[in-house]
Amino acid sequence: MAKILKLRELSKKDVLISAGHRMCAGCGAPTVVKMVLMASDYPVIAANSTGCLEVSTCISDYTAWKIPWIHSAFENAAATISGVETMYRALKKQGKIDREIKFIAFGGDGGTYDIGLQSLSGAMERGHDMLYICYDNGAYMNTGIQRSSATPFGADTTTRPAGSAVPGKTEQRKNLTRIMAAHDIPYVAQASPSHWMDLMKKVRKALEIKGPKFMNILSPCNRGWRSRTDDSIMLSRLAVETCHWPLYEVENGVTKITFRPKQKRPVEDFLRPQGRFKHLFKPENEWIIKKSQEDIDREWEKLQKEEALFAS
Amino acid sequence: MRGNEVIAEAAIQAGCRFYAGYPITPQNEIPEYMSWRMPEVGGIFIQAESELAAINMVYGASAAGMRAMTSSSSPGISLKQETISYLAGAELPAVIVNMQRGGPGLGNISGSQSDYFQAVKGGGHGDYKMIVFAPYSLQELWNLTKLAFDKADEYRTPVMILGDGVIGQMMEPFIPTPCIKSGLPEKDWILDGCKDREPRVVKSLYMGDGELGMRNNILQEKYKTMKRKEVRYESYYAEDAEVLVVAFGVVARIVLSSVIKLRHEGFKVGLFRPVTLFPFPEKEIFMLSGDNRRFITVEMNAGQMVEDVRLSINGRSEVFFYGRPGGSIITPEEVRDKILLLLNHQPYLVKTDFNKWDI
Repeated sequence: MAKILKLRELSKKDVLISAGHRMCAGCGAPTVVKMVLMASDYPVIAANSTGCLEVSTCISDYTAWKIPWIHSAFENAAATISGVETMYRALKKQGKIDREIKFIAFGGDGGTYDIGLQSLSGAMERGHDMLYICYDNGAYMNTGIQRSSATPFGADTTTRPAGSAVPGKTEQRKNLTRIMAAHDIPYVAQASPSHWMDLMKKVRKALEIKGPKFMNILSPCNRGWRSRTDDSIMLSRLAVETCHWPLYEVENGVTKITFRPKQKRPVEDFLRPQGRFKHLFKPENEWIIKKSQEDIDREWEKLQKEEALFAS
Repeated sequence: MRGNEVIAEAAIQAGCRFYAGYPITPQNEIPEYMSWRMPEVGGIFIQAESELAAINMVYGASAAGMRAMTSSSSPGISLKQETISYLAGAELPAVIVNMQRGGPGLGNISGSQSDYFQAVKGGGHGDYKMIVFAPYSLQELWNLTKLAFDKADEYRTPVMILGDGVIGQMMEPFIPTPCIKSGLPEKDWILDGCKDREPRVVKSLYMGDGELGMRNNILQEKYKTMKRKEVRYESYYAEDAEVLVVAFGVVARIVLSSVIKLRHEGFKVGLFRPVTLFPFPEKEIFMLSGDNRRFITVEMNAGQMVEDVRLSINGRSEVFFYGRPGGSIITPEEVRDKILLLLNHQPYLVKTDFNKWDI
């Protein structure tokens, strides 16, 4: 089992994604990557699907990654890391390598929820020893804020623009964390950069477990969320405290809520600071907020029930 | 309006009421425009979960009789190849827009012409062709998009509009000419429910003995008809040109400005611009070839159309090539330099030294 995290020790660790990458100010993704890589006690090899994180961290001849890193196309980070991990196992078997190496794939929500779901599902089913991390910012931010199946209900995007006829996205957000849990893999978790200790603990736990693991991490995007650059961590905290983004894990089928807000805040607190939800505060769109609240309440209720089921 | 928006609006005017797309730069303005414009005209916009899904939605919508379109850029078009082959096999009309970007792989996001082979030689499997339009101005983008829908229906074939990142992002004046009804007969093959009529079949699977061969012959006959009737091109100062440049799409614009300048300076140069890349203006180029004329093909790739130019000319003239791969723009000055080189009868070539034909 990995050692217990101490801030003092963490502060001495190398940051494995260097400054100077071209991610926007206030972007959640590099923060997530930094925390994930910092959490590992092992050397890590990462795969990255096409997206903001990928294009902005490997501009022409440069790379921001201080670890071995591979990119293939948009739809197949999970398949790419599968290949790398399989080769590693083969080399290990032949006695050509003896180090313990961990494999992590990073994908955005477009490359995970949508086009990459098939390859992700395949990798999980085959049982590779890998951790897939989805940094979920809720739209195709790299190509200009088009809706994805991770876009929250009611959000304004460029391909589902809010106007007089359509109040933004009218489809439900896909619950990917649950889909992954349904794969019955050893470990699935949801995390947020606002709760860094929780996030890093989950990564450490995941890396100690053999087999396929999945983590869904909320990643604020001030361009797409239409929020202030210095509000990112606050927004991810609000997402957790409103239970829009509940922090929980499913280990070997057992659900455990890892953070329980002292007082569950109304969803408006999360929606209001974001321009993408501005239109929801018009009187005619009140029903969307109401529905969002109902959906959140239902999911939160469900999670608590599941947790209680295993606690008894 | 940008080029991408011109395509979207032209498609709407042409009666396209089904669009399925997926984000990829540099064509995002097309799905974005469609997302608000389609509901206005009672059409359908779907953002699919992948390029594969988008083109297959088009396949379904087309079989149901809709004028349907999808768009993407190079890596996304690669993903669509399977269904493009199916569309050709099942003889379903569809319009596919490729706003090319630099490749191979993820490449970059600037304009390129490196998908010429993929578009005209059949990027998918099987013996198929599709009509490929290469617009070079927003006016042509407008006109050809509308024409693409008519030709797709007329021949029951996928039609590709092969643009690039430059033309998609470009703005310039154009006249949005009203759409003239094509006068095509009603589609008597669509799958819209067979109550009170014989069931119809749309498919590309032919397992019977010799069936697929016959099917292919029918397709090839269709492609021959296209070759006879659908060739489009433009030529500028070609008649007495000593050096004739062949270029398509946005490169033709760049070349044209050098050609006009050189003409003013008294040099005998011209430009030949294929508008349809399939069917390729083979005969027209052959007719222009001869001993006293040198050809040069200029492309934003490592040399693709030049092969078709050489095949058309069949050794009657020397054909040189100048290109820039990887999504970088050619300047009129570069083209001018290359033309002047050829006018001065340089480089002197041994005909079998093929490496030196690229200048």
